[in-house]
Formats: sequence, structure tokens, C-alpha cells
Amino acid sequence: DRTTGGPIVHIHNGILQVRSAPNYEDPPGLVEKTDFLIRDWISVYNSQPTGRDSTKAFSLFVHQMNCQGILKTDDLITRFFRLSTQLCVESVYRNMSDQNLTGNHLRVKCFNTLDAFVRLVALLVKHSGDSTNSTTKIHLLNKVLGIVAGCLLQDHEQRGTEFQQFPYHRIFIMLFLELNVPEPVLETINMHVLTAYCHTLHILRPSKAAGFCYAWLELVSHRVFMGRMLASTPQQKGWAMYAQLLIDLFKYLAPFLRNAELAKPVTMLYKGTLRVLLVLLHDFPEFLCDYHYGFCDVIPPNCIQMRNLILSAFPRNMRLPDPFTPNLKVDILQEIAFGPRVLNNFSSMITPITFKKDLDSYLKLRAPVTFLSELRSNLQVSNEPGMRYNIPLMNALVLYVGTQAIGFIRGKTLTPNMQTIAHSSHMDIFQNLAVDLDTEGRYLFLNSIANQLRYPNSHTHYFSCTLLYLFAEANTEAIQEQITRVLLERLIVNRPHPWGLLITFIELIKNPNYKFWNHEFVHCASEIEKLFESVARSCFVQKT
Amino acid sequence: GVAPLGAVPLQKEHQSQFQMMESAFYHMPQPSDSERLRTYLPRNQCSTPVYYIQQPLPQSDTLEFYQRLGTETLFFVFYYMEGTKAQFLAAKALKKQSWRFHTKYMMWFQRHEEPKTINEDYEQGTYIYFDYEKWGQRKKEGFTFEYKYLEDRDLN
Repeated sequence: DRTTGGPIVHIHNGILQVRSAPNYEDPPGLVEKTDFLIRDWISVYNSQPTGRDSTKAFSLFVHQMNCQGILKTDDLITRFFRLSTQLCVESVYRNMSDQNLTGNHLRVKCFNTLDAFVRLVALLVKHSGDSTNSTTKIHLLNKVLGIVAGCLLQDHEQRGTEFQQFPYHRIFIMLFLELNVPEPVLETINMHVLTAYCHTLHILRPSKAAGFCYAWLELVSHRVFMGRMLASTPQQKGWAMYAQLLIDLFKYLAPFLRNAELAKPVTMLYKGTLRVLLVLLHDFPEFLCDYHYGFCDVIPPNCIQMRNLILSAFPRNMRLPDPFTPNLKVDILQEIAFGPRVLNNFSSMITPITFKKDLDSYLKLRAPVTFLSELRSNLQVSNEPGMRYNIPLMNALVLYVGTQAIGFIRGKTLTPNMQTIAHSSHMDIFQNLAVDLDTEGRYLFLNSIANQLRYPNSHTHYFSCTLLYLFAEANTEAIQEQITRVLLERLIVNRPHPWGLLITFIELIKNPNYKFWNHEFVHCASEIEKLFESVARSCFVQKT
Repeated sequence: GVAPLGAVPLQKEHQSQFQMMESAFYHMPQPSDSERLRTYLPRNQCSTPVYYIQQPLPQSDTLEFYQRLGTETLFFVFYYMEGTKAQFLAAKALKKQSWRFHTKYMMWFQRHEEPKTINEDYEQGTYIYFDYEKWGQRKKEGFTFEYKYLEDRDLN
């Protein structure tokens, strides 16, 4: 596959080139030649205010490169890029250790070097090959991005905590802006530029280069990058790649967030992540809708607000009925007949294959009963408290059984409601999980269900009914208390709150069938009781 | 915060990640890092008292807003904020006020009266122009504005 295999190969070649540099000497004189050429270019770039775009200075430079024999082979060209990247970065480090340079002066001095280098790369990419040949340009770009990424990783490794994210950040963002100016040559290769950048950013994800994480987030959330990836590329071609980058971010944050001990550096990155999610919720809600499943899979269960931001997204053409409307009848909303788009292949995540087979056979035959008693052991992966269960498997199982149930009920030309969802193999599984799992497992199970309570659609409706059914049919108060907890803890955080979540909770406390107010856990502590009362007050407000 | 599943000690890998992140935290990316170089008005961040305005007025990035600004402000924006949307809007607003840009002198001119002569190649008469070196408006009598130096790109 040329579109996905191609760029990765060239980026990795670039990285490899840097990594193996100590093993093969550069030809004699190449370092000096590169040094001379790049210094010359930097001074030309900075001396003529009008010469910055000028093709004249550039063609003169290419002529010089030719004279020095640099353009002779592919190998020499990539060596030239590696050496010049390193020279520019070195000069930034030198400036940063210079006591006389501070604040703006330091920044400007470094920008003069880095911006000149970036312009050179952009011009070389634009003018390599003839104007109709985009392959050469894309190869060169991928190679250069790989080289810069390789230099970054090597620098990160060697300097450790002395590493500076700034020069690499500047190179990446300025080159991106250069390659996104409205010019016909660049517009034809734009999708390739985006792909190359996504691959490079994925290679440099925070778990691989933690010292680059803040600059990385700045790059991923830059308005031009986000706009190109999510808005201006037709057919949503950039969405999957962008989702991957967000997953990289969530995965990196997860171990720090799950302990809820947020040191300053973590808080900073977390706040940035929330801001990005807010922008996405406001400008690209459909994107969050489509990828909510994959995101929720990697966000730790205690990150309630972060998940609420994702689950609150709904398609912009939809009008949600106010959940506080008295006597709102969810059953008659037209939207609940349609399934949401889920772009993750969750059924393939049910592993091992034998378990999936047994599951399918149980859903069909409602036998053998042993399937239910073995369910728990299939989900449990260790005895370590807090890490007992395979959360992605739990999520996949819940959504898969739910979607199968909806299909099953529709197959009988019925619609899902409190009566039709009961007494089936699907509900057997859910009831069994509710009863048989320990507190930790049940918490994760109920969270998997609550992750489907979003805007009006068939999943939201089915899982809302399921949760209420599990509450009504629970054989112990512990289950009811945990259902209440999962719903309540998602509602006591600041807005936004997913629509389906509100609907379900309001139904629970309003509908006398659930005898919600008779339960002991509602009255166990005066703060809790007051909390319920205040939630109830806001729910029962009559609109006049 | 809460950790309903209990705390799990950070693994070695995460500890070293944290160290790298912590050192990066002390030299965060600056807003200027992802912007083109601002030669005359570099960013100079400092905290101002909260009772001062912290954000520009809403709609201050529209042509309507720029048309309400004084000409001197527009000239300032034009000469000191090169290559920005602000410069673009300032130029547009100046054109709307019948200022014309002379690409050789790099200055803005406005007719002071109907030109004495107008032909295919130039017009001649008395003009007001803005001198960016002396920073003020000047009058020039008997000036020939050659049309080949007239900046006439459509700014839309």
C-alpha cells in the first residue's frame, strides 16, 4: 500500500539514518561544506528583507550545492539534511547557554536560524522533481521529517533532562505552515503532507519522547493543523489519523491520571487536553461522536469530566429535547430508531476467538448455562486490586451484546423498551455480570453501559432501559447503590453532561416504580441526602 | 480527585517519562514559537491587573471595526504589523477611505483635489501622503502618480 506504507518507510529511513550515523563516517569535508552552505543561506535569508521568497537566492544556492557535489546522490542529500538539522539545533543550544541572550533577543536569534533552515527545506521540497512530479517531493518531505524526528529522538536520549523541545517545535510548525500556503503545487500534495506529519507525530508521541510532550500537544492542537485535518480535507480523510494522535495522548496521560495525584507538569498537560476536547466539542462534535468508543477505551475510569466532554458530543443537525421537560416521552422520539456510527471494530476486540464463538452461540441458543458462570473468569486478568479486569474487553462485550440485542428485538418487529429487553440471552449476560462480578468488576461493567448514554439514538435508548432494568431487578441494594453512584458521579461534575445520562437519572428518581427514595443508601449520610435533594430540585423544576 | 480503582504505583517507564516531562515543564513552548517572527511588536507577556481588559473587544478582527479606527492607527498597523491579517484589514480600510498605495515610495496617497491632469499612464495634482519616516501627513503639490506604481490588487 503506497499511501500508508510509502511514507512510513521514508520516515523510518530518515530516523535510521540519524541513528546509525556514528557507525558510518560522513565523507571527508562534508561537514565543513554543509556548515559553509547553511551559514551562507542563513545570512542570505536574513539580510534581504525582500529576498525571503526570492527564487533568485534559492537558485543560486542550489547552484552552489551542485558545485559542492551535494546533489549528486540521494545519500549525500540526506546526509546534508541530517548535518544541517544538527548544526541549526546546536546553534540554538549555544544561544540558550549564552548569558547575554534572554527573552525576546534569544528567541529572535534562534528564529533567524531555524526559520531560514525551514525555508530552505520548504523550497527544496517544492522544487524537487518537475512541477507535475509529486512523488519526488513527497519522498523528500518524508525523509526530512524522518531526519528531524531522528535527531529529536537521539537528542532526547542523549541529553536527558537537558533536552530542549523548542528548536524541533519551531522546525515542525514553521515547515507545516510553509507547506500549507495556498499554492497550486502544494495543494496537490496536501494530503501527503498531512499524512507525513501524522506519521511523524505518532512516532514522536509523548510516551516515546516525553520531553517533547508540550510542544507535541501544541502541534497537534494548532489551529491550522486541526483545521486541515478535520475541516478542509474532503471525505473526512484526516479523521482516523487525527483520532490516533488523540489516543496517543490519552494513553500517555492514563497512568498519571488514574492515581489522581496530579503533579504540576501532569496538570498542565491535562488542562491542555481538556481545552483541545472543548474545541473539538464545539467545532467538530461529529468527530467526537464517531470515535467516542476508542477514546473511552483508553481514558481511565476516574476521568469523568474528560469522558463527559466526549460523550456530550452530538451531530450538529440534531435538536435535543430538554431532559427536564415534564412527561418527556423518550420512546416516541424518532431518533431512537437509528444506530449511531461507531468507527471502531469492537466485535473483533472480543478475544480469544473461542470466547467470541461461545458468546455468539450463547446469544443464539441461550445455553449452556456454564457460559454465564465462566463469564467472570474470561474478563478477569489478574488478582491485583484495581487491575483485575480487561477493561477494553469489558467495553467490547457490553457494546456487542447490546447491539446484538437491538438487532434481535428488531428482528421480531418490536422496538426496544422495558418489556422487550427482558428475558433474553442478552439480558442474562448483563444480569449475570451485575450479580456475579465483584465491586471493581461491576463498577467497570456499569461504566461501560454508561458510556453509551449519549444523544438520542438506539444505543442510548437500549442501554438506558438496560440500566434501569438492572436497577429494578437487582437482588441486592449494593447493585442499586453502584448504579446510582455511576450515574451520580457523572452528574456532579461540571457541565457538559450527556443527554442520555440525564434522561436515565431523571427517570430513576422520578418514576415511582423504582422506589428510589426508599433506599437506604440515599439516606446514609446527610451530605449525600442533601445532594440528591438538590439534584432532584433541579430535575423537578416546572417550566411555566 | 478520586481513584475509585485505587492508586497503582508508577512503573519505572512512567517515572522516567515524568522526569522528562518535568524538565520540559520548566521551559514551556512560548506563544511566539509557533508564529511568524514579529519584528517590531514582539510578544512581551506579563501579567496585568484583572480589572484591566484582558482580551481584545469582540469583533475587533472585522473590516467594520478597522473602518472605525483613525487613519494614523491604520498606518501604524500597516507598517508595524507586516504579514498579518491586521495589516490586510488596515490596507482594506485605507482603500475604502480613498487612500492609494504607491509601490515605489511605499507610502499611501490621497487626492487633495481633483487632479489637474489625468491620462492613461498617470495623474497629476495635489496629494496628501503619509510619511512613515517623519510619521505624519504631508501635502505635495504638482505630484505625478504614475499608474504603474499603483497597488491595485483586489483585496477580497
